[in-house]
Amino acid sequence: MKLKYYGLILCSALIASGCSSLGVKPWERELLAREDMLMDSDALDLAFDEHIYFSKEASSGGQGFAGGGCGCN
Amino acid sequence: MQLKTKKVAGLLSAATCSLLGTPAQAAEGDWDVDTAVLYYSESDDRVQAFEPVISATRDLGNDESLSMKLVLDSLTGASANGAVPSTQVQTFTTPSGKDSYRVEPNETPLDDTFKDTRVSYSMNWEKPTDRNNRRNLGFNVSREYDFTSISGNALWQHDTNQKNTTWSYGLNIELDNIDPVGGAPEPLTDMLAQDKNDSDTRTVVDFLFGVTQVIDRSSLFQLNLSLSEADGYMTDPYKFVSVVDNTGEPISQLFESRPDSRSRQSIYGKYKKMLANKDIFTASYRFMTDDWGIDSNTFDFSYRWTFDRGFYLQPRLRWYQQSEADFYYYFLRTGDDPEYASADYRLGEMEATTIGLKFGRDIDEQQAWSFRLELYEQTGDSSPSEAFGQLTQQDLYPTLEATIVQFNYSFRW
Amino acid sequence: MKKFLIVLLLAISPVKAEIYDIKQLDLGNYQGKVVYLDFWASWCKPCQESFPWMNQLLTRYPADAFTVITVNLDAETDSMHQFLGKVKADFDIFHDPSGRIAEEFKIEGMPTSYLIDASGKVVKKHIGFYTRDIEKYEREIEELL
Repeated sequence: MKLKYYGLILCSALIASGCSSLGVKPWERELLAREDMLMDSDALDLAFDEHIYFSKEASSGGQGFAGGGCGCN
Repeated sequence: MQLKTKKVAGLLSAATCSLLGTPAQAAEGDWDVDTAVLYYSESDDRVQAFEPVISATRDLGNDESLSMKLVLDSLTGASANGAVPSTQVQTFTTPSGKDSYRVEPNETPLDDTFKDTRVSYSMNWEKPTDRNNRRNLGFNVSREYDFTSISGNALWQHDTNQKNTTWSYGLNIELDNIDPVGGAPEPLTDMLAQDKNDSDTRTVVDFLFGVTQVIDRSSLFQLNLSLSEADGYMTDPYKFVSVVDNTGEPISQLFESRPDSRSRQSIYGKYKKMLANKDIFTASYRFMTDDWGIDSNTFDFSYRWTFDRGFYLQPRLRWYQQSEADFYYYFLRTGDDPEYASADYRLGEMEATTIGLKFGRDIDEQQAWSFRLELYEQTGDSSPSEAFGQLTQQDLYPTLEATIVQFNYSFRW
Repeated sequence: MKKFLIVLLLAISPVKAEIYDIKQLDLGNYQGKVVYLDFWASWCKPCQESFPWMNQLLTRYPADAFTVITVNLDAETDSMHQFLGKVKADFDIFHDPSGRIAEEFKIEGMPTSYLIDASGKVVKKHIGFYTRDIEKYEREIEELL
């Protein structure tokens, strides 16, 4: 179990480091700046869901930070 | 403790993202207000909940903001108490110990003595420390008649690659006080003995690490790792495990018992893509594992059809699967002497599917409304191989069906 | 039809902004004046916050010594016009939808502003717009005048 987890961490680290070549220029974020393209769009839904599923299932959390967006300032 | 709101592992991320929905185009001094109400209703007279929420975020200028959220949660209805059905009438003592309730033959024992109201208040403050670094500090207080929780959270976000990459580091510390009606039962003692202790406590510490990466102009993804350590009173004081005789008939009910710690890890990925027609596809996956023997997989997909003038239609599909806890038992037999035992369906092997449809309108930057309707179905093994005698005729994991209805209205003030 | 109406609206509106294609931008035309050159887009919130202040600058400092020039980086022209319909702009706007000029200037963030002295030399660069720094921005301009 632990081995599986650490394996996943390693994969994530590799993915994350390999991704530094991805991205857009600062002026190319018109779509990413939209409310519906934010990582935490529908944040209210997420919060309600978290509450429901926490009380009906054995898993909770681990999900979503804010992210993306216009990248301004 | 049906739809209880124990501030739990990983709620930091939910708190952060729910409170700071990054309001666009607000000016200093403006408040972005979200109001919503949720109705949750299970079939067969089980749990019903009504939950109004109001949250407001104030733009303090220079990318600083303050958010507040108030949640009211009103629960009624019955919940499975963990006992097995019988061919005979069964009687159970209520949590207070002063009363009892009766369960008809061949029916899943449900405890309907819960009418619970919870109030929860949170506040979060976010401020950049420089162009590429932000910190967010927050706290939450939650109260219901048998449970009080306070928690503090801290988040640091750091941008690299001209903000194409964001690194998030979060910490959430929660202190809970559990004061069950009638007292916390001595683990694995007989219901009729009513051997109860005083209130108990629990501490939960969560660490979260996440990376958000812009892929191209129209897509991005996020990868999160989280660790959660809970210590203290983990048991549900109102749930039983039935002890059955050699015909499968329950002869006594024991209060359940869980370990006094729980260590969880999860990995979560989410991908969002906007198509050429401005529709949006979102997909996420979470794998969770813990030292109770539970592994779970959660898949979540949604597709937003965008129409003119801000209208959209968004179907959603969620599929969840979990394995059972090491100490999960459908029932115990006389002579069984486990260290821990729980028959709480929430720790059992099951899968659940949610299908939903959201319809709404983003009127402009300042106003939006939406309506969401979802159906949730949770199924487990109604007739596990362990069943014998009369238990083979009973449904040992009844299907749970629920309807979720949600209204939301957001505005700037 | 829509384009005609927009042009008509802009022509008759009190907005003094003129919108030009980016190819028409020649900083040489502004020799002898201090120039505040700003790169913005309609989807950028701090950009929106900077507009009232940039309009103010034009009234505060003499037009023969100082001017504000902006480059709009909206890929979609409609977005730019919609924004200008809601937010007043008294300065000239050069539309660069392909981002060519932004690339040449190696813009690192939105918004970005350059302070150029009367001889055409770039004196200051700011990434981002912060209302708490307004006094600092104004002092920098005044030092050049």
